[in-house]
Amino acid sequence: MGLSKISNGVNMQVEEKELIYLYCVTKVKPNYRNLEDLGIKIYPIYFQGTYAIVSKVSPDEFNEENLKKNFADINWVENKVRQHEKVIEAIMQDATVIPFKFGTVFQTEENAEKLLREQSAEFKRIIANLNGKQEWGLKIYCDFKKFKDMLHKEDTKIKEIEKEIASASKGKAYFLRKKKDEFIKDIINEEVSKYTQDCFEKLKRISVDVKINKILSKEVTEKKEDMVLNAAFLINTKRIKEFNNAVEYLKSRYSDNGLIFNCTGPWPTYNFCSFGEKKE
Amino acid sequence: MNEEVITKTKDVALVEVLDRVLDKGAIVAGDIVISVADIDLVYIGLRVMLSSVETMEKLRGAPMPGGTEEST
Repeated sequence: MGLSKISNGVNMQVEEKELIYLYCVTKVKPNYRNLEDLGIKIYPIYFQGTYAIVSKVSPDEFNEENLKKNFADINWVENKVRQHEKVIEAIMQDATVIPFKFGTVFQTEENAEKLLREQSAEFKRIIANLNGKQEWGLKIYCDFKKFKDMLHKEDTKIKEIEKEIASASKGKAYFLRKKKDEFIKDIINEEVSKYTQDCFEKLKRISVDVKINKILSKEVTEKKEDMVLNAAFLINTKRIKEFNNAVEYLKSRYSDNGLIFNCTGPWPTYNFCSFGEKKE
Repeated sequence: MNEEVITKTKDVALVEVLDRVLDKGAIVAGDIVISVADIDLVYIGLRVMLSSVETMEKLRGAPMPGGTEEST
């Protein structure tokens, strides 16, 4: 790899050695045309039918210490995370990939190759499994205000309480309002979970595999609505259209209830390529 | 700080990418391993970036803003 070992072991010099960043593993040699616009040199490390798609990165950014520091800089993170995604998407155009988690970094090419050597069979098995499939993501948000407004119009029990409030004393009205809010909250929670369950089940039937992920807070999503479902679906390519049609159907069915659908894909199969975590 | 919220010209929201690239993907024992705590740090960073006093207020009230006064 062109970098001679520093025999006197001076720390500074060792630190300066470039690191190897792993994006994904495939069974197909990458098509360099797809990688031209990325602005970084991506290249494969080969071992017996598997390719590790890597690039060299600077220890100034990616050694353990600096990585930690850089994580505090959201602009740095955004940049690198998007780049990670872009590289994998470019490779995905011609190949089934195993996308790796952000920040999988090796000290040397030899170490990256060692991974291929040790896991080659497992990688091939996973790739065979993912072949001809796509990952799609669905996040459902709920506009609770819209939901609430609808309930106000339709629910008779709420109307009753409201009538009571109108004629109650100030103090009593306060408690009645609280009671009403509790009541509404319960209905909403129940209904929303019923609806999201229905959506999930319908889409699950079309999928090969599914995964429910954790709900992200509003600070992270930047949306004014609350996230109520965060799911990933692994779908046979032949059924993508069916899947998207189902999403459209659910959208129209539940939009009056304040549900907002955010369906994205195809993604690298981040959610469907876990394998035996092997500690060395 | 609240002003310079991430310039987003790309069509996929950052959160969609973060949700996958940072949180999922195949995991091997690479030479340099990012701990879960470090990833949490990113989310905390995001929070600091994105939440203004206003949104925090809203959050506290959500999903049921207290008393339902004459909200027309």
